[in-house]
Parts: sequence; structure tokens; C-alpha cells
Amino acid sequence: MTKASPPKWADRFLEWYCNPSLLEEIQGDAHELYGRSAKQRNRRTADFLYVWNVLRFFRWSNIKRSRSHPTGHFMMYKNYLSVFKRGLIKRKGYSFINVFGLAIGVACFLLISMYIRDEYSFDRMHAKADRIYRIHEILQSDGIGERSASQPFPVAEALVNDYGSQIEKAVRFFNFQAPTLALATIDNQKEFNESRLFLTDSTFFDVFDFPLIEGNPQKALNTTHTIVLTETMAKKYFEDEPAVGKYLKFQGNMDLLVTAVMKDIPANTHFQFDGLISLQTYDQFYDPRVPQVWHWYWNPCWTYLLLKDTRDAPVIQASLPAFVKKYFPAFVQNDVTMELFPLTDIHLKSNMDYEIQPNSSLTTIYVFASIAIFVLLIACINFINLSTARAANRAKEVGMRKTLGGQRIQLVTQFLFESTLLCVIAVVLALIMVVTVLPTFNVFAEKNIDATVLLQPFYLSLLLVLPLIVGLLSGIYPAFVLSSYNPITALKSTPGRESGSLLRKSLVVVQFTLSIILLVGTGVAIDQLSMLQKSDTGFSRENVLMIPVTRSPVAQHFMSLRDEFLRNKNTVSVTALEEVLGAKHQVGNYLFEGYTESKPFPRLTVRHDFTKTFNIPMVAGRDFSEDVNTDDSLALVVNETFVRQMGWTSNDHAIGKKFSSKPNHRIIGVTKDFNFTSRHQSIRPLVMELNSAPKGFDVRIKYMAVRISGDDVPGTIEWLAQQWKSQIPGWPFDYFFLENDLAKLYKDENKMSKITMVFSGLSILVACLGLFGLSTFTAEQRRKEMSIRKVLGSSNTDIFFLFSKNFFGLIIIANVVAFPLAYWLMHEWLRSFAYQVNIDLKLFILSGLIAIAIAFFTICYQALKSANSNPAEVLKSE
Amino acid sequence: MKGANIGELEELILLTVGILYKEAYGVAVMDEVEKQTGRSLNISAVHAVLKRLEEKGLVKSRMSDPTEERGGRRKRIFLLTASGKRALEDAHEMRNQLFQQIPKIAFQ
Repeated sequence: MTKASPPKWADRFLEWYCNPSLLEEIQGDAHELYGRSAKQRNRRTADFLYVWNVLRFFRWSNIKRSRSHPTGHFMMYKNYLSVFKRGLIKRKGYSFINVFGLAIGVACFLLISMYIRDEYSFDRMHAKADRIYRIHEILQSDGIGERSASQPFPVAEALVNDYGSQIEKAVRFFNFQAPTLALATIDNQKEFNESRLFLTDSTFFDVFDFPLIEGNPQKALNTTHTIVLTETMAKKYFEDEPAVGKYLKFQGNMDLLVTAVMKDIPANTHFQFDGLISLQTYDQFYDPRVPQVWHWYWNPCWTYLLLKDTRDAPVIQASLPAFVKKYFPAFVQNDVTMELFPLTDIHLKSNMDYEIQPNSSLTTIYVFASIAIFVLLIACINFINLSTARAANRAKEVGMRKTLGGQRIQLVTQFLFESTLLCVIAVVLALIMVVTVLPTFNVFAEKNIDATVLLQPFYLSLLLVLPLIVGLLSGIYPAFVLSSYNPITALKSTPGRESGSLLRKSLVVVQFTLSIILLVGTGVAIDQLSMLQKSDTGFSRENVLMIPVTRSPVAQHFMSLRDEFLRNKNTVSVTALEEVLGAKHQVGNYLFEGYTESKPFPRLTVRHDFTKTFNIPMVAGRDFSEDVNTDDSLALVVNETFVRQMGWTSNDHAIGKKFSSKPNHRIIGVTKDFNFTSRHQSIRPLVMELNSAPKGFDVRIKYMAVRISGDDVPGTIEWLAQQWKSQIPGWPFDYFFLENDLAKLYKDENKMSKITMVFSGLSILVACLGLFGLSTFTAEQRRKEMSIRKVLGSSNTDIFFLFSKNFFGLIIIANVVAFPLAYWLMHEWLRSFAYQVNIDLKLFILSGLIAIAIAFFTICYQALKSANSNPAEVLKSE
Repeated sequence: MKGANIGELEELILLTVGILYKEAYGVAVMDEVEKQTGRSLNISAVHAVLKRLEEKGLVKSRMSDPTEERGGRRKRIFLLTASGKRALEDAHEMRNQLFQQIPKIAFQ
């Protein structure tokens, strides 16, 4: 008899949804009814009724649900918590390593993220920040010339006139390109050389949102002879008296009315200033007698545009070539390109000549971000390794839980819960670390980050999400491995069964690979930095005093001051020049023999004895001479690269070449090449021009340079200051050493190498913590084995080597993996430098050895312990 | 007490469980209800009520031996508990009391 059976799919559906404890009776009743209706009626009706019944049984009370009830859930968590607590206390060392390592990782991550976030916050405090653009002028012919962040004076006005429908406001900043400007109270009681003063348009407050404490932003700068001070500056000059309404003396010859006091400028702006003078005051500078071409050639004004709509930026950018054609003088038209640059990108992405203050770079951000991730990764790996290593010890617990009805998902939950909880503890610890080290970090990262930023929503959510992510990430593998144990084998097997050891080993390799890469990276960065700073730049920088003299009375008294200075036997040579040698240069257009139009070239305006003061040898011709009157304006000195660039066959060949359109202008000498800018750039052609007119001090000559012998430096400086006071009364004697100033050129690299050094040190520390934990567990697990070996005659050294052998293998593999990676990464990084240090292979070996040595000491303790253990003690406990 | 009250269908099925004594399981209860009252219930409704009665402690259950017609599956046999009996008695008594208080005149 073939018995009819109900449709399979309906049955399966019932079995799928039905609570197993109810399934039997429900299915039984359903089948019984089916059999009855199949007998009484036909099969089809029976099928239909069966399906109908199955569907009717599909109700909430019959549906399969998680066995654990809400209250039970909570109880389980209480149980997990107490088990976690016991485990934590029982294995203090292990817990410490785990939490501490993770905390270091998280703290590094937090610190670096604070740094990066601060870098990205630059210039975003302005409400209209996204509509503000700076306009750049690139004046280059065949790649030589300048990439200027600043513009000629009339550009702002012309742009607003021509593109008024897109440009709302324009604002210019000007500071005579002078290193310092003098400011004093009317009674001369307080006089200072200020390096952060700017002249600006009255539109300043329309474009930027720098809050005023006192004064009206609409009126503060819209008349001549007015100045706005920051709070600190107002204190500096007027102490606690109100500053508004008082006068200050500017450059010793002009009174400025203080019209407003503004809050101090936040640290995260791409340029810092202490005071703003109304640019109208210097409209005289925009002298109508000077031919228009020169107004459109000299470009000292940093110009910012406020657009009506960000979408207009491409429109304006597209019309800039036409703008250049319309206004710029014919001789530069073909070489000038202008570009709009978003305000908020300036700090990280702009790297022009004549930046107001040096910017940061994206490379630094990338390097720091990778370090942060590396360290966090190493810490997570520790966690994974230690947890899986400990898995064997917890096998019994897993077996017991499973026997008592624990579901796999519950075990996974438990282990994830534990790892997340551990991460929460680590994060709390990390927070304490961050708050403690933040002041120190601020000092060497040159930041001013306040710990209260951690209360920002971003960090609050980060602090919330971080333990979850790290906890899940580092807990997921151990959780699945542990919960996969078969309860019978888990309960039966003796602890010591190694599981996941291959994964563990590969993770150790990853850890050490990352650490070694960081070590090598730090080494290369330090090498590169010292190469940049120390190598020969072609001129002497030691014992050179630089004295800012722009627009100072020195203009009239240079010769007599020089003669007075030279009277001291310790003064070697005195000159004056346009920019800090080795840091900066200007650009001039010159028409040379054989060319039909003038081309821009890097230029330095100098006084006599320039080459003597800086020890720059001449390779052909002669230097400017005081005996030849015509040297001023009729003669040029160039460098070797210039000769090569022009395609002249030899240095001597260059002598007598004509320049400009007049026949008696000639090149009179060629100097040996020297680095007139930082060594981020290679040496380019350079033109040196003599300007001995007092007017030269208006904008061309900015510094006096005095070379002194190394003997009795304080005495010599004291003496120089005295001569200065008697010759230039009422003008502060400020100076700096060239050597110190040039060190600042590599500030970015310096900072980066310092930070990488600290963090790679920490990463090694964290990796070693992990290794220590791991070796501890291995030692425990192999205790009996080692004891038996000893009983059977192994010596202590045998045991020691046997124990450490495994770990060394891993470190050596890590070295092998790390070397090519590190080499490639460093090679990429160095490509951005004009001068690259050779990647020293010794560095690799050194880093490898350091890693091995540190690892050795880490394992050593456990290796010695197991080698020296008394086998009788160990074995008796069976 | 509100919880002690049982609904009409619950009472009906509780009575049926009593009637079927030792033979009361889903299908049998359903059949018996239909036979006695003509009410046709869906089997799932019967299960739901039986489950509810068990939760209230008015019936208890045990599994029977496997039967061939159910493909070797066991039945869940329901039995009245002491409180189930009392609930039936209470309900019966209350009905009688109420019934007897109806004035004769009302029936005429």
C-alpha cells in the first residue's frame, strides 16, 4: 500500500519555522489530519488542507525563537562579566600586556588623529571659507622663474572690476616683503621689530571672520593711518590701558591710530599676524609716476578673493589667461599663469615661493596616518595572538559551557564581549595616557592642541566606536576558534594542544615587519635630514649675523656703519643683500644676448663684498668692485648653472656677454654654484645684481650680513650693537644667526623624523610586549616537554636554543619581508626631494639587528626560566 | 481574580479534555468538539487553546507512545489538573447559580 504523504515543501517549511519542542505534536496532528482527509476525499484536497493547516500553525507562539530569554541574556552577561573579571585578575601579567599594549596603540592612534585633524582644521573657522580663494602667479620660462603666492598691487582691483558678477570682495596683504617692521609707542618707551605686521585692505573683515574685541570692523581699516592690533599686541604696547584711540609710531616716521583690538589669531590659520595696518596708508607706494608696467610686474601682494559662489571658481580660472593678456606687461605675458587656490587647501597643499609662512604638507599627513595605523595594527595583533595562545587554557571552559547547553553563538558573543570590554579598559587607559602626554606631544609636534578637543562629538563617537571596532577586529578570530571546539575533545584533551599557531606566527612576522619598516624609515628620514642640513651648500653659514634693515635709516648710513663694524678685529666682512641666503630669492626679468625677449631668472640683489662675506668662490671674471662705479646697474654676476642654462660653452665664455638692451651692460663674473634656496630644490640659474643706492633699502636690500670670526662672539655682538646705537639712534638692533635661521628650512622634516622616531619606538615596544606574552605562554605549554628533555640529558643551553629558535626564525623572516618593502617605501618618499640621501644598506642591517636584539631580550627571560627550571618541580605536579 | 477566569472556548475545550479522559490530544479534541457542538475548529486554534490552558495550569500533558498513523510521532495527551477540575466546577456552579436566579416568569 502506498501511503500518501503531504507535500514535502510544506513539511519542510513547518520543520523550519516550528519550535522543535512543539514540532512533534503539531506535525503529528497535521499528518493525522492529512491521512484522514486523503482517505475521505481526494489527494489534492488533502494537500491543500495540509498546506492550509501548516500556514495556520505559523503563529508567534509556535515559531522557533532563540532559546535564551531576555532575562537570561542579561544573566549571561553578568556571568560573562564575572568570568572576565576572574580571568583578568587570575592572569595579571597577561591582562596587563594585553591592555597596556592596546592602550599604547590606541593612544598613539588618538594622538596622531588629533594632529591630523588639527592640520585639516586650518582656515576653516571662517564662515565663508569655502568661497575664499587665494590667487597665485606662476612666472616661469622653461621651468625657471618663480611660483609666487603673491600678486602685483593692481590685480585685486582689476579682478573685481572685470569679474564683479562672480567676485564679491578682494583683499590684499602687503608687508614690503620685509622680515620685520618697526613699531613703537609715541614716547618711544616701547619699540619692537615686529615680524607679523601686514598692511591690508578695508575689505579684510568682510572676507575673513576674525572677531574683534573692541572697535567696528566696518570702519576699522577704511581710512589711512589706522592699525588694528591683536589682544596680545595691545597688551604689549599699552599694557592694561585701553588701546583703541591711541597712536603707535610705525617705521619711526608715521603715526597710526589704533582703531580696533581683535582676538588673538588662532593657531590653525595658514598665516599668523599681530597687527593690520590699512593699506591705503601706503597708497603713496603705488606711485602714479612709476610706469604702469612696473606696477603689474612687482608682485608683493598676497591677494584673496571672496567669490559669490564656489561654482564660479572654474569660470574665473578659465578667464584668467585673458586677464593676463589684458593687463600684464608684454614682456611677461607669455610666461605668466595665474591660478585660484582654495583657502582651505593652502595649509596642506600649497607649496609656492613666497608663502606668507611655511605650510605643512600632505606627505607628512600620510606618513603620520600610516604610522598611526601601523601601531594600532601591531597592538591588535598582540591581542589576537595572546587570545588564541590562551585558547588552549580556556578549552575546558568552552567544553563545559557547550555541555551545559551553551550555543556557539553565545560563546562567540562571550568572547567578543570580553575583547570589547578589554578594549574599553584599554581606551580608558589610552585616554589617561593621551591627556598626560599631550603637553609634551604639543611641544615636539609644534601644535597647541587642547585636551578638551576630546569632548568634541567626533572624538566622543570615535571613543565609542574604537573599542567596538578594535574589540570586534581583534576578538573575532579567537572567538570563532574557541567556539569551534568540539566539547568532547575540548574536555578530554590536555591543555597544550597548539591551535592556530601558524596564524600566530604569521601575525608575529607581520608585527615585526611593520616595526622594522618603521625603524628603517626613521633611520632614512634622519639620514636625509642630516644630509639636507649638514652637507655643503657652497657658502659659509657659520658666524654670519643677519640684521633686518628694510626701510630703516641704515639706507643713509650703510657705508659709515660698515666701516665702523669693520674696525673691530673680529669682524671679517660686511655686506647687505636681498634675502636670507640659502632660504629665499627674488625673480627678475633679464634680456640676454641672443634672445629676443626677456626671461625671468632667480635674482639676488647684493652690496659689495657679498662673495667675500659668504665665502663663495668666483670661477671666472671678477666680483663687483668698489673701484668700478659702473658695476652698479651696468654689471651682473651669475652662477655656473646660469652659464650652462644659457648654453654658453664655458664660464669664461660668459664674461662680457651683454644683457638688457643697452650695449654697455655686461656679465662680469661667474661664481661657483651654491644653494641659494633650501635643498628641497636643486640649484637653478641665479643672477646677482649690485644695488648700492640708499633707495635700494626700500624694498630690494633687506638684510645686512656681518661675518665675524668665531672668537669672543658675545663681545663682538655687544660691540656691533654699540656702533649701531651710535650710528642709528632710535632703531632697535635686531639680528639672528644665519645658521639658526637656515635650520628652520627643514622644520617639517625635523618634526617628521622626531615623530616617526618616537612612534616607531613605541611600535617596537608594543610588538615586544606581544612577543613577551607569547613566549610566556609557549614556555608554560612546553614546561613538561622541556623538563623531560632535561631529564633525558639536554643541557641548559640546548633548552635555551630550542626555546628561542622558533622566535628567531620569525624575526628573520620579518626582516626578509621588511627590507624590500622599506626600501621601496623610502625610495618613493625620497623621490620628492631634489637632493636624496643614498639609502644606506647599513641602516637595514642595523634595524634588523635592533629588532633581533630587542626580541632576544624579550624572549630571553622566558627561555632562561625554562632552561633553568628544576625538572623535578615541574614533573611532580602531574 | 481576573486570571482565574477562562473564556468560552477555553471552557469548551477544557470540558472536552475532561470528556476524552486519557485520549485528549489535538485532533481528538477537535473532533470531539465538532461532534458535541457542531463547531468546526481549525487544528491550530485547538493547539493554541490547549497551550494556553497548560500555561494556566488547568491541564497537564505528557507524550503518548508513537502511533503508526502519525508517521511514528507521539501524541501530546492532555489531562485535567486539580485546578482544571475546580475551574470547571466553579464555572458550572456559577452558571447553575445564575440560571436558578432567573425568575420563572422570564421563561414564559
